[in-house]
Order: sequence, then C-alpha cells, then structure tokens
Amino acid sequence: MPNIESQIFSSYQRNPLLHDEIFDQEGQVKAIYQKLFNLYGEHSIEDYIQLNNKAKSSFFNQGITFQVYGKKETQEKIFPFDLFPRIIDSQEWETIESGVIQRSRALNLFLSDLYHEKKIIKQGVVPLELISSSANYLHQMLGIDPPGGIYNHISGTDIIKHNDGNWYVLEDNIRCPSGVSYVICNRTALKRALFGVFNHYQTHTVTDYAENLLDLLETVKPHGVDQPNCIVITPGMYNSAFYEHSYLAKTMGVELVEGRDLFVENDFVYMKTIKGPQRVDIIYRRIDDLFLDPLEFREDSTLGVPGLFAAYKKGNVTLANAPGTGVADDKAVYTYMPEIIKYYLGEDPILSNVYTYHCSRPQELKYVLENVDKLVIKPVDEAGGYGISIGNKLTKKEINERKKQVKEDPRKYVAQPIMSLSVHPTYIDENHSFEQRHVDLRTFTILGKDKEFVLKGGLTRVALQKGNLIVNSSQGGGSKDTWVLKNQ
Amino acid sequence: MALDYSINYKAENDYQNSVDEAHWQFLIVPEQNSTQQLLSVDFRNSLGLEKSYSINGFGFRTIRLHATKKFGKISFEASFKLIKKDINPFDFDAFPAVEEEYQYIKTLDFQVDFEPFLKTTRFTRLPEAHLPGFQLDQSISLFENLQQLNEWTFKFLNFETGVTDVNTELDEVIRNRKGVCQDFTHLFCALARQNGVPVRYVSGYLHQGNGYFGDSQMHAWAEAFMPSAGWIGFDPTNNLLVNSNYIKVSHGKDYRDCSPLKGVVYSEGANETKYSVEVSAQQQ
Repeated sequence: MPNIESQIFSSYQRNPLLHDEIFDQEGQVKAIYQKLFNLYGEHSIEDYIQLNNKAKSSFFNQGITFQVYGKKETQEKIFPFDLFPRIIDSQEWETIESGVIQRSRALNLFLSDLYHEKKIIKQGVVPLELISSSANYLHQMLGIDPPGGIYNHISGTDIIKHNDGNWYVLEDNIRCPSGVSYVICNRTALKRALFGVFNHYQTHTVTDYAENLLDLLETVKPHGVDQPNCIVITPGMYNSAFYEHSYLAKTMGVELVEGRDLFVENDFVYMKTIKGPQRVDIIYRRIDDLFLDPLEFREDSTLGVPGLFAAYKKGNVTLANAPGTGVADDKAVYTYMPEIIKYYLGEDPILSNVYTYHCSRPQELKYVLENVDKLVIKPVDEAGGYGISIGNKLTKKEINERKKQVKEDPRKYVAQPIMSLSVHPTYIDENHSFEQRHVDLRTFTILGKDKEFVLKGGLTRVALQKGNLIVNSSQGGGSKDTWVLKNQ
Repeated sequence: MALDYSINYKAENDYQNSVDEAHWQFLIVPEQNSTQQLLSVDFRNSLGLEKSYSINGFGFRTIRLHATKKFGKISFEASFKLIKKDINPFDFDAFPAVEEEYQYIKTLDFQVDFEPFLKTTRFTRLPEAHLPGFQLDQSISLFENLQQLNEWTFKFLNFETGVTDVNTELDEVIRNRKGVCQDFTHLFCALARQNGVPVRYVSGYLHQGNGYFGDSQMHAWAEAFMPSAGWIGFDPTNNLLVNSNYIKVSHGKDYRDCSPLKGVVYSEGANETKYSVEVSAQQQ
C-alpha cells in the first residue's frame, strides 16, 4: 500500500534515538499501523480537533474523573485521553500474557510461603530483610489459608517496551491496582468518536473484564458457600479511584458499599439492606490493609468494618486481594523476581526485569551514589510515581540532595538505569499536532482457583510532557486505547 | 501446688455526648494453656447488649459487643474462674555448653521462625542516643543474661503511674526513666530483641503479694524464647520470674497487639474510661 502523506502527521518529528511504535527507523509506517495511519490521515487537523473535544466531553459527561493529592488542595481532573490507539499484535501479546500470568502465579506462591513456612528465606534465595523490614508484612496473616489459596487475585503489572524492542516489567502492583475502568472507558470513547476504524481491525474486547473478575472471584468463595454474594467496598466518593469502584460494581452487577454498610456478627459479614441483613461472602476491597478493620488494625479507621479480620481469619469471607499482599509488591522484592519465579515454578522469567540496584547493598550503593545522574532512583514503598528522580533531569543541587537522602536511608531506595520507554504518536492540544510521547502499559491479571484471566488490552499510559518518563495519572499522564489483535 | 483463681474485671465508659453506635472488643479472657485451665467466664454489661466471642489477629479469644441504640454510659463486668498450675521457671535442661545457645539463635532458620518477635516495633524502638545499652555476656547462659536484663530494667526505670500512657514510646520512657508495667516490658523486649533474643509482650493478671506493682490493673510482662527452655516469662516491673501468680491473657509484639479494650465509637466529644481488676486465689 502506498504511503499516503497524512495531513495530521505532516509535522510529526521523529527522534531517531527513540523506539517509535508506528514508524520504523527509515520513517516508514509499520505494517500493522498502515491502515490506521491511512484512516486517520483522511482527517484534517480541524476534524481532529473536533473529534478530540467530543471525546473529552464524553469523559466529563460520564463523570470519569480522578483526584490528585499532594499539593495544597485536592483537584478533580479528567484523565486525558488520546484518540490514536496503540496496537499490539497477537504474537507479541502472547508473550506478554504468559509473562504476566507467570509473575502473578509466582507472587502468589511467594506470598503463601511468606505467610507459612518461609522456605525461600530459609534456603537463602531472598534475604530475611524483605519481611523483617517491610511495613506491609502482616503477622496477623501468618498461618491463614485464604480461600482457594489465592492472595493476589488482581495484579497490575506495569511493562514497557525498551528501545531494544523488548518488553520489560517495571513493577508489579498487587495491593489495589487501579486503572482498569479507564481501559474500558477509553474503548467506549474511541468507538463513539471513530467507530469506523474498528471495522478494519480484529480487536479483542476489553469489556469482558468485570464478568471475568466476578467469575474468578467466585472460584475462591469461602468453604461451604453455594451461591456466593460478592460486593465491592470503597473508601468512599473522595477516593481518587471512586469512579472505578462504582464502575466495577455496576458492571459486575454487585453492590458497591462503604464500611458503614456492613457489619460483622459471630464472625460472619452482613450487608445492611432494606430487606434486612444479607450475608456477604466475597469482598473486592479497595481499602488499604490497615483501614480494613479498626478492631484489628488502625483503631481510628472509619472506612473499615469492625470485626472483619476475624471473619476472614475464620475463613468466613474472601478478601480480594488478601491482606498483607503489599509485602510482595515492594520494589525491593521486584529485584528478586527472576529468582522467585525460578524457585517456585522452575521456569525462567518470560518477561525481563529492569536491572535494579539495591541501595541496601554497600557495593551497589556506592555505584548509585556515583551515578545519580544516570539512574532512576525510587523509594521502595511509594506508589503513584511519588519520590522518583530521573538522573538526567536533575540539577547539580538536586543531585547532591538526592545523594544525601539515599545515604541517610539506603534501604529505602532502589535504582535502575534510565530505560528508554517506547514512544507513540500522541495528539498535543496546545500545539495542534501529533508528537512523540513515552508510553507504558499496565496489564491486569486475575487469579482464581486453578484459573486465570488477563485482560486483552490494558492501560497504555502516556507521559504528556515532552521527554517525561513518568506516566502515572497523578503525575499528569494521559492514556490511550490499547488494541490487542486477534490471531489472523 | 495449684491455685484456684477468681478474677474480676470492671470497666466503665462515660461519654460526653450520647453515642449512636459503638463496637467494643475485650481482650481480657485468660488464655487456656498448659498451666491454666479456664473454668468459667461470665460477662455482663449495663445496657444488656448481647456478647459474642471471637478471636484477634493472633488467635486470642475476644469478647465483642455492638451497641446500636443511643446511650451515654456503659459499664462492663467480667469474672473468670480458673485453676493455675505451679510453674518452675528453672525446670529445663540447659545446653551442655553456653556458646551453643548463642550459636543457635544466630542461625537463619531460627531468625526466620521467630521473626515476629525479633522485629522492632513502634513501641520497642530504642533511641540511638542516651541509651546505657545492654549487651549479652556470652560467658554465662542466655537464661542468666535475661535474668540480668530483667533486673537491669527493673533498676533502670522507676515505677510511677500517670507519667506515661498507651502512646508513650521508649525514647521518652528512657529519658524520664519512669513508667508503668507496659513501659518496663517494652524496654525489656527492645533490649532482648536487639540482642537477637525473641521476646513477646504479654498481657494478663498478677496475683498480688505485698509490695508488687501491677495492683488492681491488668499487668504486662515479657516471654523470652530460649532454645534450651522454650518460652519463659520475665516480669521486669517487679524483677521476678513468672510463676503461678501470673495469669496470661494474650501476647503480641507490643502493647498494641494486646490492648485489653478497643472501641470504635460513633460520637463526637471526649470520653472517660475507668477500670479495675481484682484477683483472688485459694490454694487447692
């Protein structure tokens, strides 16, 4: 097919050092994107601006917003959505899918071991410090057998495509990974704006997430329950991901509740309804561990349910994810993932890790301190992109400050080489043009009893500021619809 | 000789403003173990709320109450009867050579198995500055060392009520050198753990002889694990080894895991809690 000179790509600038997902080194559109490129090329910039505004208002109208913490006040924002989708072919996806399943299964076995025999530590494969210095290791979980043996029912694995063309895992999120509702909303928004483009590609659906989630959660129902009653619990409407909580409950067809809607009696959990108390068997909880039960964890928590943990300990309710999973998504654990996978599954990792330096090791600390300008330094226990420094973006003064912080508490930090995330053409509002922006991909994996599901798609997050590598929504990132193609 | 115990626990909660809903959790029932046989539990409250039994995160028995109607004041009363066997803390076979025990507690397996009770917690964190310190003397047995630590703690702190509360951390305790049983116990735990000896915080009742601290309140002490002897109780508040005068309720990493009464109360304003304990014993 001839390469049509597209109007909307006429000012697209390619940095040859970056891995562009749609243009090859010679500037030719890659085969998989050719049709899409032609279709988008039929639009003028004016058309495109109009379409873009339409898509934006569809997000506002649906109330798909999130909140940003940290500065003086909390702000309500929409998650910027980019109309140009990202495509992953079926073969590439197969690797990703088997890779994230492998990781989730290994992490589950790891958690089970950490809360039972701890063989992996006794055999010296991972250090004792991973649990003894982790704030997320919950001793209350010791010896508990969660229903179906599952801890990390839902995992959000963040992966990137490096300029060597390979996928690497950036981190595993197994506390309450969020973002899946955006995946589905992005698909809906794109279909509304540009339905025609879908006719030219065989794309896997993403709207089956909620039904699969419910299905798999039901495989880990408490013992002796026939028809489990599943609910979603949220910290409330002020939580940054409240939209997602309500979306998931709605699409799963289950109740969305807050802590005060539930109570525990004789170690069983009940929901208050107008028809009287109704027993609850499976709770998809979007509340952090320490807020789950004020009688067991933080006494000042008004979000949780008094007595919930005892009900869990007695096996009368399933919590997804299990309390105490946070110990395994510590960034220090990440660095041992190749060993962890090998230990429990006897397999080599399908997806590679980014090489990581532990500042807790004197040799590696030394290297990190000497190379702050060439490394990404991350605190091990922060989520949402907070506290990350990217070496080549730091001033001299910032480098020195960073060194001081790391030296003061080395165990708190890990460092990685600056990975060159692939770039994807992204429409930039203020310039009215497409530009290269870095992207990553959050995948969603669900583990049930002897069953797993990976959402065929995921959340492609875009760092909207030019050259920025941090893609988290709280750091001003946007997102794209992500197409996984069917095998043709 | 075994003792027949009768324990009475009374508490009263007064709320400045009326309360719509409340949950309470009591961790006050004596544990059933090889030296304690619980005969009866009786628990009443002034609102006539139905009680239920449950467990806490470490498996100890709790009593729960849930009030759903408005009230301003509530009182609780519990009584327990139990038989306590004699405990002889010296009844164990020492390791043939004292070094063996120190080597044993250094092994990875040991450190992994006892990780929960070797861990530093908020209340067992030692401040880096101004600490006289306590080091194990490896020429004598571990047991003797812990006896010395018991005495050291007893002498280092002065028993004084009203200076500390349930939120006081060791930094302050060490600075003032004053505190009550939980402070003595936290300090003992901190120093033993720092030296690689697993210790757990224990909450329970003390049958008073004359002149011992811990009167009319719940008491706290520590249990240290020695490979030669298993878990042995030390009471640093009184510089005593735990015997049949000590009735155990629960253990944990620190006070937080053992607080006798937890409440979740939906009300604005202050509240006042008073409680008292009476322990009486009869020789069988």
